[in-house]
Amino acid sequence: MENPSNNSKVTRRRFMRDSVRSVLALGIGAVSGLLIGRSTKQNIVWQLDPEKCVQCGRCATDCVLDESAVKCVHAYDVCGYCELCGGYSKPDAHELDTAAENQLCPTGAIQRSFIEDPYFEYTINEKLCIGCAKCVKGCGSFGNGSLYLQVRHDRCVNCNDCAIARNCPGEAFSRMPSDRPYLLKGEQGLT
Amino acid sequence: MQNRNHIFSSITLIAAVGLLIFYGFTIFSGRSGRDENPFEYDVDSFKGADSSLIHYAEVQSIDFEGKKLTALTLNFKDELIVAAGREIFRIDSMFQSSLWITTQYPVRCLATDIEGLVYVGLENIVLVYHPDGSKQAEWDDFPRQAILTSIAVGDSHVYVADAGSRVVHYFNNSGKLITRLGEKDPVRNIPGFVIPSPYFDLCIAKNGSVWVVNPGRHTFENYLPSGDLVAQWGKTSMRIDGFSGCCNPTHIAMTPQGEFVTSEKGLERIKVYSPAGQLLSVVALPEQFDEGTVGLDLAVDSKGVIYVLDPSRERIRIFGKKEVS
Repeated sequence: MENPSNNSKVTRRRFMRDSVRSVLALGIGAVSGLLIGRSTKQNIVWQLDPEKCVQCGRCATDCVLDESAVKCVHAYDVCGYCELCGGYSKPDAHELDTAAENQLCPTGAIQRSFIEDPYFEYTINEKLCIGCAKCVKGCGSFGNGSLYLQVRHDRCVNCNDCAIARNCPGEAFSRMPSDRPYLLKGEQGLT
Repeated sequence: MQNRNHIFSSITLIAAVGLLIFYGFTIFSGRSGRDENPFEYDVDSFKGADSSLIHYAEVQSIDFEGKKLTALTLNFKDELIVAAGREIFRIDSMFQSSLWITTQYPVRCLATDIEGLVYVGLENIVLVYHPDGSKQAEWDDFPRQAILTSIAVGDSHVYVADAGSRVVHYFNNSGKLITRLGEKDPVRNIPGFVIPSPYFDLCIAKNGSVWVVNPGRHTFENYLPSGDLVAQWGKTSMRIDGFSGCCNPTHIAMTPQGEFVTSEKGLERIKVYSPAGQLLSVVALPEQFDEGTVGLDLAVDSKGVIYVLDPSRERIRIFGKKEVS
């Protein structure tokens, strides 16, 4: 009769085989984990919720890019096309015209064009927009809130630790799946 | 040499203490600069008013905690009727509220007539209730895009403001549509209503004509039942005597003397204007409301007391004239 304790005896060959298997399993696990982690990270992007935005101005100043990745966007179907636009004209504007001294935007990034009396269309020139949210505050206070900020993903470098998100007092920033990277207002936001 | 060292040490010590005090001050006074917004949208300079214009003070309030207040009106006995969502409450003389009517959809506007009938505006339908709470009629002759925002009831006619269609519907008191007022008509010199958001109020003058707010133009327009525009006034400005933004004033009411009481959004203010549009009094300033409050519906009783529906603070706020010493 064979002694059972002989079966459990660890031979050098068995030890080597088990060790190599363990190392291989760990390696495969680590590489898989790394790949899953990387792919997950690549599929998530930063975005700010316009309903939580408090128009603090930090999107303009805190982004790691010289020109912020956050820009103003316009929900045309929400806009009232007003002549007196709180997002376009300064509160103390002398005239409701396109003169620079009467415009609220510090960079003149909002373009106004006449539609028909008394309606005007407002378009954002993204190259000029710095994401300061001054117009967003004016539009939200007096108008329908059609102007709002979004992280533009053609510009955002998707930092792991977004500098704006870290300092956002409204905690408006969160990570979004990259196939649904925007939080839009109006009909666009419903699709 | 020892003296020089002593002076150098003293200067260093003073500088270090100075720096500590400076940093301590900036940290504890919150002046670190992080909270400052270089792009601040600043309308603070428009939030005040000359104290000589403030003729009213808040005298009482009625709490509706947890209720989403939407509309209020007073009946011919000066009894307050308040809508909160789908519920309509009656308020007795002791300011106790009791649930009176429940509707199928949220109430947007209320009015009463001299017999005590209550006209309830839902999104695109008007319900008429008997004082005992029973439904008497249902008016649905409105366009599909209708958003009813205000009702005013005269002796034999009813005006209904429709922000969705940008017109005023003119009915007889049995609910038959007679005509629509205010549609853009250059031949009759009618500019048309500009209504960027659903705030579109009206009230009946003593002569039976209707005063309608044109909120996108910041004007008051007076229409005869025939549809003729006979008078208008208004001023676009953020200053205390004007109206600003895309849709102000959001609500109006008329005093027994025929003066207009107005409420605004953006700069939350309640003011009183003469029938010709001259600013007479300030009732309440933005500091008396939560920032961002909208929907300050108004009513005035037979003594000139002003009732303000404050949806943000979930209460009806009552403002009376200050006694002149």
